[in-house]
Amino acid sequence: MSVTVFDHTQTPQLLDAELARGGEGAVYPLAHRHDILVKLYHPNKLSLDGAELQAKIEAMIAVKQDFIDDALSWPLLSVFDDKRQWQGYAMKRANGVPMTNLAHACLYTKYFPQLDRSGLVKILLNYLDAVERLHSKGIFIGDFNLNNAMCHPADLSVTLIDCDSVQFSAKGRVFPCCVGSPDLTPVEHLGRAFKDIQRNRESDCFSLAIILFKCLMLGRHPYDIVGGADPVGNMRQGNFPYGRGARGLPPGHWYNIWSHMPFRLKNLFIQVFTEGVRTPAARPDLPDWRDALQVYLKEMRKGWHETAIKPAHPKSSEHRGNSKSQVSVAFSH
Amino acid sequence: MTYPLPARYSDLIENPSPRCACMLVLDDSFSMSGGLLTFKNRPIDELNAGLAQFLQEIQDDEFASYSVEIGVVTTSSPDVEMLSLTPSHQIEGFDTLKPNGCTPLGRAVDTALCALEQRKTEYKKNGVAYYQPWLVLISDGAPTDHWQESARKAKALAEERKLVVLPVAVQGADINILSQFSNRPAKQLQGLKFKDFFAWLSASMAQVSRSASTASAIDLPSTTGWDSI
Repeated sequence: MSVTVFDHTQTPQLLDAELARGGEGAVYPLAHRHDILVKLYHPNKLSLDGAELQAKIEAMIAVKQDFIDDALSWPLLSVFDDKRQWQGYAMKRANGVPMTNLAHACLYTKYFPQLDRSGLVKILLNYLDAVERLHSKGIFIGDFNLNNAMCHPADLSVTLIDCDSVQFSAKGRVFPCCVGSPDLTPVEHLGRAFKDIQRNRESDCFSLAIILFKCLMLGRHPYDIVGGADPVGNMRQGNFPYGRGARGLPPGHWYNIWSHMPFRLKNLFIQVFTEGVRTPAARPDLPDWRDALQVYLKEMRKGWHETAIKPAHPKSSEHRGNSKSQVSVAFSH
Repeated sequence: MTYPLPARYSDLIENPSPRCACMLVLDDSFSMSGGLLTFKNRPIDELNAGLAQFLQEIQDDEFASYSVEIGVVTTSSPDVEMLSLTPSHQIEGFDTLKPNGCTPLGRAVDTALCALEQRKTEYKKNGVAYYQPWLVLISDGAPTDHWQESARKAKALAEERKLVVLPVAVQGADINILSQFSNRPAKQLQGLKFKDFFAWLSASMAQVSRSASTASAIDLPSTTGWDSI
């Protein structure tokens, strides 16, 4: 069954077959322009929060000129039904592969067959740029989710999708991010309804660190621990199993991969996943991650670091770039 | 290590995807051949076809195939698993069920609970996160053994939110007894619509495997599809 939607001037547009469906709505390409997608919220979502949603999306559309770039799939236009009832919005279609398939120990070879660690780090730097585009305008992502980032295997670019869930402020009104998942949520926000939470730079930086870790570690959650609780329970305890003296490292490639990361990057992970659990101010910020990843990339080009996604052996201790004298951070690994 | 690890164990080392275990306890007693009831097709044939379709649908969803693990215990062989809990992407197919014997559902459920517990221990040993496992119980009769204690155990786990127990009553089943295995009432399968049921089950398991967090509460997907028709 084909669906027709209308813009505010009541110009009709025919939609093509449904492309994807989620808890809040479904997404369709325009029949005559496949580069444009329309998200229509489910009727029960509209009857529940329709007015709030419309206010948020229209406030986002009002500033769309600030976000017309390929890093974000920002709401561009409201769409209505034939009775002029608001139904959702139109946006640019993002191409690529969901980051879920990158941060996956088995699927990454299928979707990113040419990828090595330097390509992986380039994707993460592009991801950081997209997050920074939002943070620089006081917008927080809240619901960090591997499915909400589309990665291009060829040019390694990244586009954030499902932008309607971000925490967005306009004219003194804060529209919250009402969704999320516990194992990507910092402890200070656990156990509360997502709609009642005010996200901030520190909370986003904790979730961001989990995304970076999962991508570099093929889907391993930083708090997957042998003999521990579930990841959220381990997170509450700050039981991060990597780094000197830590316990519970799972068997498999994980230690090898970890050992080949530069000291500085490992320290950022140790810092955010131990002290940073309870002390938001101790969490590395976007520039910290950017610097560490840029240095990593540069040093890989010089041949200082293994570039295989799954190195066969742990790094030998004499390897360059592993020396503690290169950094001034007080943590050991 | 002198002996090679079984594939379903080494997968826990290679593949850190959070797991959703789905243990099927299937009644393949004599009555599933149709017995005295008149069916166009034998219930067991429909069940076999439904199982094959279930596996196919899970495997067609590659993300789910690395996350959903399937195991089978049957009443004809209630003390051993016909299939140990195995990641779907490693399963080549199910043995064909042939109607045989009576219905020791209690013993079969005990075996299933034991296997789930053992697999959970393996998850923990390898630091693999897991969702609340599912136990699906399909029968067309009434247990012929001492089922009460097994039912109590399964129901207690369901009440503690450690297990989702889903009893499914095929025509001729004692739906009241089946309901005692869970904290939710048994679903009545209309006619022999095993395929509709397994389509719903594969969609549900795929949905669980995509829920971002193993710590989230599970909203059981609506069953208005298969059991309302």
